[in-house]
Amino acid sequence: MSQPQQTTVRNRLLKALSQDDFARLQPHLEPIDAELKQTLIAPNQPIKQLFFPESGYGSLATEAPEGSKAAAGIIGREGLIGASPVLLGADRTPHHIFIQAPGEMLAIETGVLVAAVDQSPSLRKLLLRYIQVLFVEAVQTAFVNATYTSEVRLARWLLMCHDRMDGDELVMTHEFVSLMLGVQRSSATLAVQALEGYRLIKARRGRLTILDRKALVEIAGAGYGLPEAEYARLIEGA
Amino acid sequence: MPRYFFNLRHRPGSGGLAADHEGDELADVNAARAHALSEARDLIARGRNETIRDWMVCSFEVTDERDKPVLTVPFSDTLPEEGVWD
Repeated sequence: MSQPQQTTVRNRLLKALSQDDFARLQPHLEPIDAELKQTLIAPNQPIKQLFFPESGYGSLATEAPEGSKAAAGIIGREGLIGASPVLLGADRTPHHIFIQAPGEMLAIETGVLVAAVDQSPSLRKLLLRYIQVLFVEAVQTAFVNATYTSEVRLARWLLMCHDRMDGDELVMTHEFVSLMLGVQRSSATLAVQALEGYRLIKARRGRLTILDRKALVEIAGAGYGLPEAEYARLIEGA
Repeated sequence: MPRYFFNLRHRPGSGGLAADHEGDELADVNAARAHALSEARDLIARGRNETIRDWMVCSFEVTDERDKPVLTVPFSDTLPEEGVWD
């Protein structure tokens, strides 16, 4: 199979690399199809591969031993799954990253990526800037969870998912919405009904369709946009 | 284990029911009641939202896999029967 070309990749980090840095990684990128709920990074297991999503996205979640869990972020075509533990020198992470929307990923061996970063200060700088954006996003999630109602939190998450996919339809159970928002399933159902009542989304069993993105942005208010703007500034030089 | 569905009644009428289509597997109806009370406590404590002003008028209408009503758990059941002022 021919290797991915920088002119046609959809991953925004790969697009933002210098030609030299892309050439360093290109021979080692292996396309894989990631399926719904597939684990990409298992908690407390050595990280053997990282993944540049081309389509679809994963959720980063923390899981308590007694079973409760909450999502802290999503990683799609703007990102690199596994970047923060590996680039910050950890061989494993307590967090779980699994597929929320199926799609194509470009996998790379951990040792290969680490060697490339050791050889290229510009590659290291770009990926560390991406990790800074992830940190901004995690703090934003804490802020939003502490400050806003479940409707605002849902609007933000839906926008983040929408940013990482093509089209307007998301496959999503209320169980999953509750994981993303860190709320009970009943709260998730109420929030979905409220946004549906405002005609911003349409909910069918297991599916949500975004009807009015502009109004979702208005509802999300200051809850949405800060990490997205930091990404554009730090990674894409906007 | 049987699956129970925890439909949240917050107002009279069809618009006042947040239907649960996913449900939770629990050992029996006693476990379902305990689960409903635990969910209600969590909603009262952390469930800030724009639909419900008063949790004490809410209840869980619990149904089984054949959509038959199993029990109703008012959120007021999370409070002790006798208040500290009685």
